[in-house]
Amino acid sequence: MTAWLKRTLLACAVVLAAQPAFAQWPTYTSKSIPHKRDGTVNLDAPAPRAKDGHPDFSGLWERVGPGGINPDFAALQSKDGGPPAATFWNLGAGVQNGLPFRPLAAQLRDERMANDQKNNPDAHCLPMGLMQLHLHPQPRKLVQTPAIIVIMYEGNQGLREIFTDGRSVPELNEDLQPWWYGYSAGRWEGDTLVVETVGFRDDVWLDVQGSPLTSAARMTERFTRPTFGRLQIDVTIDDPNAYTKPFTVRVNQQILADEELIEFVCNENEKSARHFDP
Amino acid sequence: MKGRWIFAVAAAGALVVQGSADAHHSFAAEFDRALPITVTGSVTKVEWANPHARFYIDAKDEKTGETVNWDFELASPNGLMRRGWTRNSMKLGDVVTVTGHRAKNNPHVGNATTVVLADGKKLFAGSSSENEPPTAAPQ
Repeated sequence: MTAWLKRTLLACAVVLAAQPAFAQWPTYTSKSIPHKRDGTVNLDAPAPRAKDGHPDFSGLWERVGPGGINPDFAALQSKDGGPPAATFWNLGAGVQNGLPFRPLAAQLRDERMANDQKNNPDAHCLPMGLMQLHLHPQPRKLVQTPAIIVIMYEGNQGLREIFTDGRSVPELNEDLQPWWYGYSAGRWEGDTLVVETVGFRDDVWLDVQGSPLTSAARMTERFTRPTFGRLQIDVTIDDPNAYTKPFTVRVNQQILADEELIEFVCNENEKSARHFDP
Repeated sequence: MKGRWIFAVAAAGALVVQGSADAHHSFAAEFDRALPITVTGSVTKVEWANPHARFYIDAKDEKTGETVNWDFELASPNGLMRRGWTRNSMKLGDVVTVTGHRAKNNPHVGNATTVVLADGKKLFAGSSSENEPPTAAPQ
């Protein structure tokens, strides 16, 4: 073996040994993501636009802001005077006096909490409600086309379609098949995407504490992308069966650049529920 | 190589974990904060699967002297992988000391808060309980 070949093989071995043992997709740097000179993502760059001129919300997004079950109330208040931020645990943690529960809804939420949320659908690998999916610590990927927006939530593999082809949501009637994620249709108001959703099941949980949602609900989401790195969703829940009046909360998301979803199939080895105490 | 960097820091035993813990079920549905445990034993099986990674260790029961197999729950694999851990981070036969909390209805099932190898190296820093409050009190 020549000295040249030995050196080449040695160099190859060193390079291969230096490669990290990726446990998922190797890092792939997208050319469309704006970076600062120091290599970090420029979150404050202008939001991109789609070919049709609308803001493009496509990307992998991660919930940001206070979390946990007892976040600081003041920290949940929006600095721009907008609605308070919601948390995964408690949608109304930042709402003055809490969510406007009707008595039966408050009773149901209290029962669910007293039962340690054992009946949370997510704890049994059933779908989470849209607000749980919006606020889940695991990310979600939004793919936008002119006629439809798809959101793939890593948390419990939620999948949602938002039609933006001009259709309206179905009329609520007794024949409409209730869905975990409902029926969503969006329209543009300037740079804001306004999404209406109806047709929910009666057993949807809005948060881990068990704030209910019923089939009478109408959900209105206002999506904006103030900068490249930030997605803001103001969500109004109007559910006269469970709440005395509509309320609005905010979901704040930040771009997760150069990362991908990781497969999450909840039922592949679910063994927790059998240990739930009776 | 963000994941690699995180792994290196974790291996140094200096990891400060922020962010996503598993949120599949509430801690209190399965485990009891009033039942803290510390168990040392050798790893017999690792299940790197959803919704929780799990591992099993053989440990001697202090009261009976018999060897029992413990079942420990971790966060979900996706959360652990984003912190740099892989399905091969824990090896069969590793002797580990686990601190955590016991299940309410099974004396040998637990939620792992810390997992430490005999040489002091920490595995899987951060568990499915880290974002849980001490008590799930109504607000």
